[in-house]
Amino acid sequence: MKPILLQGHERSITQIKYNREGDLLFSVAKDTVVNAWYSVNGERLGTYNGHTGAVWCVDCDWDTKNVLTGSADNSCRLWDCETGKQLALLETSSAVRTCGFDFSGNIIMFSTDKQMGYQCFLNFFDLRDPQQIKDNQPYMTVPCSESKITSAVWGPLGDYVIAGHESGEINQFSAKSGEVLKKIKEHTKQINDMQSSVDLTMVISASKDNTAKLFDSTTLDHIKTFKTERPVNSAAISPIMDHVVMGGGQEAMEVTTTSSRIGKFEARFFHAAYEEEFGRVKGHFGPINCVAFHPDGKSYSSGGEDGYVRIHCFDPHYFDFELEA
Amino acid sequence: MHETMDMADDPEYEEEEPSFSDSEDFVDDIEDDELLSDLMREKPLEADGIDSVVVVDNVPQVGPERLEKLKNVVNKIFSKFGKITNEFWPMDNGTTKGYIFLEYLAPTQAQEAVKNADGYKLDKQHTFRVNVFTDFDKYMNISDEWETPEKQDFKDFGNMRHWIEDPDCRDHFSVIYESGERTAIYANDAKESITVEERARWTETYVRWSPKGTYLATFHQRGIALWGGEKFKQIQRFSHQGVSLIDFSPCERYVVTFSPLMDTKEDPQAIIIWDILTGQKKRGFHCESSAHWPIFKWSHDGKFFARMTQDTLSIYEAPSMGLLDKKSLKIFGIKDFSWSPGDNVIAYWVPEDKDIPARVTLSHMPTREEIRVRNLFNVVDCKLHWQRNGDYLCVKVDRTPKGTQGVVTNFEIFRMREKQVPVDVVEMKEGIIAFAWEPNGSKFAVLHGESPRINSSFYHVKNNGKIDLIKSFDKQQANSIFWSPQGQFLVLAGLRSMNGALAFVDTSDCTMMNIAEHYMASDVEWDPTGRYVVTSVSWWSHKVDNAYWLWTFQGRLLQKNNKDRFCQLLWRPRPATLLGAEEIKVIKKDLKKYSKIFEQKDRLSQSKASKELVDKRRAMMDEYRLYREAAVQTLLEQKELRLELRGGVDTDELDSNVEDWEEETIEFFINEEIIPLGDL
Repeated sequence: MKPILLQGHERSITQIKYNREGDLLFSVAKDTVVNAWYSVNGERLGTYNGHTGAVWCVDCDWDTKNVLTGSADNSCRLWDCETGKQLALLETSSAVRTCGFDFSGNIIMFSTDKQMGYQCFLNFFDLRDPQQIKDNQPYMTVPCSESKITSAVWGPLGDYVIAGHESGEINQFSAKSGEVLKKIKEHTKQINDMQSSVDLTMVISASKDNTAKLFDSTTLDHIKTFKTERPVNSAAISPIMDHVVMGGGQEAMEVTTTSSRIGKFEARFFHAAYEEEFGRVKGHFGPINCVAFHPDGKSYSSGGEDGYVRIHCFDPHYFDFELEA
Repeated sequence: MHETMDMADDPEYEEEEPSFSDSEDFVDDIEDDELLSDLMREKPLEADGIDSVVVVDNVPQVGPERLEKLKNVVNKIFSKFGKITNEFWPMDNGTTKGYIFLEYLAPTQAQEAVKNADGYKLDKQHTFRVNVFTDFDKYMNISDEWETPEKQDFKDFGNMRHWIEDPDCRDHFSVIYESGERTAIYANDAKESITVEERARWTETYVRWSPKGTYLATFHQRGIALWGGEKFKQIQRFSHQGVSLIDFSPCERYVVTFSPLMDTKEDPQAIIIWDILTGQKKRGFHCESSAHWPIFKWSHDGKFFARMTQDTLSIYEAPSMGLLDKKSLKIFGIKDFSWSPGDNVIAYWVPEDKDIPARVTLSHMPTREEIRVRNLFNVVDCKLHWQRNGDYLCVKVDRTPKGTQGVVTNFEIFRMREKQVPVDVVEMKEGIIAFAWEPNGSKFAVLHGESPRINSSFYHVKNNGKIDLIKSFDKQQANSIFWSPQGQFLVLAGLRSMNGALAFVDTSDCTMMNIAEHYMASDVEWDPTGRYVVTSVSWWSHKVDNAYWLWTFQGRLLQKNNKDRFCQLLWRPRPATLLGAEEIKVIKKDLKKYSKIFEQKDRLSQSKASKELVDKRRAMMDEYRLYREAAVQTLLEQKELRLELRGGVDTDELDSNVEDWEEETIEFFINEEIIPLGDL
């Protein structure tokens, strides 16, 4: 099927995310707009207005009540999903790189960049305590002086946050004490993206070292590696098939020719168990910055450096296809 | 003590320093030797300066009346090499003894005196013999008995042609990757190449195979190392500081190395010729520029090598490394020369000089007999192209005929195997991009035209001298021609700027077997048997997608090998076949019989390979399933906790809280179109 092209941004897309049911798709970009779309037809539900800098991250809680965004305008904002009203403004001293709701939707976390003399912090707020928001005083703040957090997701049950770092390390930070529960280093370069499987048992990391890797969320045991020849900007796990999708390409800075052939700006599908590539989807004319599976696994979306979000529905033979084994 | 006082300001030095001053009644009882041993060691000795002393024999024996005059003469001669600080004239009965001692400032001056004044003729009766004084000691100590040099053990490096004995006839190739950090040797296989050897920092720049594949040469700051045998042990080393280029003689007996660093006037070191078997330096040469490497070109049998300089062609003989007939050939204006790869024939050309036309000359060596001379007019440039067996020579002549604008190109084809070497001409109207002979046949391929209108043409040189155009293809994406070493097949490649377009051509009927592309390919390398061809993107020319791809000679892609910062791939050459023409004929006749055996072997290995792949996948899947089952088990155990966190709402499945849903039906018109999901 022809992809649905979402044209709601003027700058490159930084993150896209479905809500739990998958009827809505949120997109943020290096412009200041936060968009919400109907995933079924690409109609825009609305925007969340207020940010004054590039928006790096977006998340939506499990019952699609609240939306959380983090931006380079040194703020993290909480929105009412339905009305678009800004519920909270949490100011920081540097850009907000990654943010998320925990499983219950009660606790939020966000990390800030090492920037302008400030180091990277991982902050935790409990939304049930309005005083924390009012005072802009997180119940816990964890400094990460060694290497800044570049991407993070909540672990299952909200006990900890799994964070990928600029150095390629992946750490588990306890949401209660802030201590590092587990620490691994499987990547040699910066982690660009972390995403969980739909049941939160696994996480996939996308790295600048040209690979994506699958880990167990709890033990951080390394399960699989998917290799490409370009930096991987984003990777997602299919909720219904043993598949992963990866997006990336030559970094915008390093693209020296105009040919999209050399940049390899394709979404690439790998079999999760065999670690083999079995399909590619072309379309973007710049690197793909983010990919996401619809929670029903029947479509996926990608957001690119070119500023477009594309929603792709799978053809029937995608579901029948099997590698010989 | 003064300094320690200053330091007292520093908190770390607050404690009081002990006094180092001598007490009043101190007696110094230490010897100088003990206290100043390092200085005492440099105390002048009587024998110092002995290296600067020379002994001059055959000096005229004179009385005191003529001594002053003689001293003046001798001083004049010997002070040319440095200042004489001391002289001694032994006397006997009022006359000098006929030998004198002279001391110079430095040993180098003494050596200079020996070198230049030894054999100096003062007059008819007196010829000076000059020696360094210390040499007398040395020669005195030499035993009169002949001592046989110690016999050196024969070093056995095993079978140097081990790789030829591979039952599956796999050819070796070397790969440099990780920007030169690692070098590996692989045995090629259609499925997957087998690692033979892999080493980190094996070479500092690149590697070279010797012409028959026996040795692998690696480059190091201090020289060249040769490796070979079954385990790639070091066979030989040639110490040549800063070596950057090498060239083997075709017989693998000699290697020529070039270094831009170490040249001195007296001792030529820029180019060194080495004996590979003994490791000895055979001869050094001067060299101003390495722009046209190889500077020395070898004859096909390695018996001669030649070098061109201004108006001269110097031919040297191996193994003496001396000039052939002790003199160079004077050829005014010589521009280029080339040995026939089949015979000891040298071809060279000289450009026009006023009324004398340009000339291509073929000379036989070592007789220097001119076999053929061809005069050419209005010549701009010539290029010499030999067919690999030396059966044909093509001289590509760029001309500007009178009364026309621009350059036209002629191919002057010399048929070497016929009497008096007849020459035929093919005129080309367009610019020539590339020319290449079929290595063992009588065809040649030409790329001509202007980008983007490039044509490829194939010609056949018949026995009667007729040169037929067999076929022409227009609109080609190509700038290079690569013939299979066995002939018949070739690859036309558009390297680098032409994005790596590839065309696989069979010249027996001139069909394009396949058109393909290896994007940004920089190199094409045929294996020595002509069964496989490799295209590659080298890190040296392009920084991304460094890889080498293996194709069959028909252009079927077999493997894509992505290697991090891949630099260079070189096939290991094979020595010439030991089979005679008759035996080859017999094998060709019985090809059907052999092909059956090989096909069966291929089928077997193929089914084995696909079975291996399926088995591997199955194992990976089993492992993954096992993990997933365990993960799902834990997940189920945590269901209560999840329900609690989300206020009793079951969100485990998408539709598990269906009772909370509000249903809304929306209809859209959707235009259906099928897009393929890439190559599955």
